Amino acid sequence: MNRPLYIITGLVATTMLFAACTVDPNAAGVEYMPDMYRSPAPEAYVDYGSNKHLDWTQQMKDAAGVTPVLSRKPVAGTIPYTGSALTAQFVMPYPLNNTPEDYERAATEIKTPIFATEKNIEKGKLIYTRMCMHCHGKEGHGDGAISRNGFIEGIPDYATKLKDLPEGKMYHTITYGKGLMGQHASQLNQLERWQVIEYVKCLQQGVSTPEYENGMLKLAAAAPAASDSTATN
Amino acid sequence: MRFSERFYHRILVTLTLVMSMTVSSFASIHEGGDAAKGEQLFKANCASCHKITNEVLAAPGLQGIDQRWAGKDALLVKWIQNPQAAAASGDAYVKGLVSTYVPQFGWMAGQAVSEAEIKDILAYVKKGPVGGGAKAAPTNECKTLEELKADAEKNEESDGFIWFIIVGVILAIIAVSAANISKSLKNAINEREGLPALPEVGYGKSIRGWMWKNRTFVSIVGLFLVCYFAVVGYSTLMDIGVYEGYTPTQPVWFSHSIHVCQNEVDCNYCHSSAAKSKHAGIPSVNVCMNCHKGINKGTITGEKEINKIYAAIGFDPTTKTYKTDYKEQPIEWNKVHNLPDHVYFNHSQHVTVGNIDCKQCHGPVEKYTVGHQATIDEINAQDPASVPGLIKLTKPTLTMGWCIECHNKAQIDLTSTEYYEEMHNRFKATGLGQRTIRDIMEDGEVTVREMGGWECGKCHY
Repeated sequence: MNRPLYIITGLVATTMLFAACTVDPNAAGVEYMPDMYRSPAPEAYVDYGSNKHLDWTQQMKDAAGVTPVLSRKPVAGTIPYTGSALTAQFVMPYPLNNTPEDYERAATEIKTPIFATEKNIEKGKLIYTRMCMHCHGKEGHGDGAISRNGFIEGIPDYATKLKDLPEGKMYHTITYGKGLMGQHASQLNQLERWQVIEYVKCLQQGVSTPEYENGMLKLAAAAPAASDSTATN
Repeated sequence: MRFSERFYHRILVTLTLVMSMTVSSFASIHEGGDAAKGEQLFKANCASCHKITNEVLAAPGLQGIDQRWAGKDALLVKWIQNPQAAAASGDAYVKGLVSTYVPQFGWMAGQAVSEAEIKDILAYVKKGPVGGGAKAAPTNECKTLEELKADAEKNEESDGFIWFIIVGVILAIIAVSAANISKSLKNAINEREGLPALPEVGYGKSIRGWMWKNRTFVSIVGLFLVCYFAVVGYSTLMDIGVYEGYTPTQPVWFSHSIHVCQNEVDCNYCHSSAAKSKHAGIPSVNVCMNCHKGINKGTITGEKEINKIYAAIGFDPTTKTYKTDYKEQPIEWNKVHNLPDHVYFNHSQHVTVGNIDCKQCHGPVEKYTVGHQATIDEINAQDPASVPGLIKLTKPTLTMGWCIECHNKAQIDLTSTEYYEEMHNRFKATGLGQRTIRDIMEDGEVTVREMGGWECGKCHY
């Protein structure tokens, strides 16, 4: 009479074993040597201290003083320790605060430290296509895909509404955000912010493919294009 | 007589009322504008901050503006054209507006709209969308809305496999019990008819007996099973360390398809460190908020998934403010692409220096919902026009074979940095160097392998 019981228990145990192997979608697969896969030192975005494959209990984590290593904020006032004396100005803190008064102050007090060179503007254009285009549009008319799809409407056109926007205000806006635009300081460092502003300044003149002369922006090209944009205005 | 007098009086009152309304409507800026024109003007000038409902966007909603500004037409025009000047006029209501909203949203930029245009805009604010208001549904070349909805539903479902197993176990129990019952019944019949009871044969013995009786069938099935397990076993062993198609669950139903394909957000916008550092990076919540401050409702899942972002960062979507003293909790995403600890891989080397398209390694991400480790077939099936310089490879993704296969095929753009120019000059100076150049240039191309891309120490150190 006991035999069927044994068999049934055996069957249930086997199925549970199989179920345990296959159901977890967060297990990538079998590793050759897990100890060579998993670093004891924390890697970005993976913390094996909190990883279910190691089955740490909360008490074990508390005892070892382990907290999950996820994205964290840098300590307030941190200055990146990179670059040289030449690039040091780009890691210094921005002097203005995120207030309406300081936004107005930025117009006169904040000036670009870089020149309108081909290298800067082309880098700015690359950054623009990556960071700005989906809202501000390919040529800066505020007709990016997000605007066309009706998620964020009324994005101002650089060539008309924001034609006279000073570079300091642009910098302030990228750093802190304005209106619906968020702050992009975490994605763009200060040099990149100035580079993209150099390209936006071309867009203000209605020039989306700037021309260069001796590695600098060709100024003559800007004048006729500017009259074009006023004609469409 | 009295009755007709009252009637006459009533008509008079109505007439005066109608008259006064008409007169006031001509006088007020809130009446008589062209709402259709106003809609266009509103979308071009106001919509980035204001809504015509009472919802806050990046500024208060405009619903009921005709009541709030009743009788202050000139001031309203001034307020729109030059807010600071209007604030200087000393009106109590304007002062209240400035003190409530300027600290939160900043000053509104003076708008270059004429009085007539303001009239049109105000008509639109009052009447709402005139042109049916139905905006064209966002088109998505990669996935239709139905497919996306199906994805979202699949996300809600639990895994069906466990039910499969449970049903299997129940069926097995029924089969065993049925065999026992039939045996007991047969014994009962035998007992009634005076026949001897069936012998107590063990399960093992009875199965062996059955197998001997049907030995041809059993041996064919046995052979088949042996082959089957050999094949399955071999492929399982070959799959060790191969994680193609790995799609871990994620805490938020984030659709790459909606963000990348429909709204054309570049990969580098969210994974902004891919061009600068070892890690591509998972965006922190503040990056999500750059758009989702204004976009509070998703196309497919509505507010459910976007509210998870707000819960992480402590944002109130109705007042559009961040909560103070809120304990922010980063979203715990699950890492999709895992390399062993003994392999060094750097994104910026490949993205910035090598100028390799993201899709070369990550496949058609614009078709994915959550992150997914592309299979080599998915990568090769992509349209070469959409992936500049797509190199077709054969080995499974994220294996060493795959890496070195590409390092053997990928060519280096010698003009990309000054480094190669410098190296060329140094090589040219010596006889050994010149021979090296000849060896490298023999087939007319310079691959990553020839520049040291197959050295063990490149990736393992």
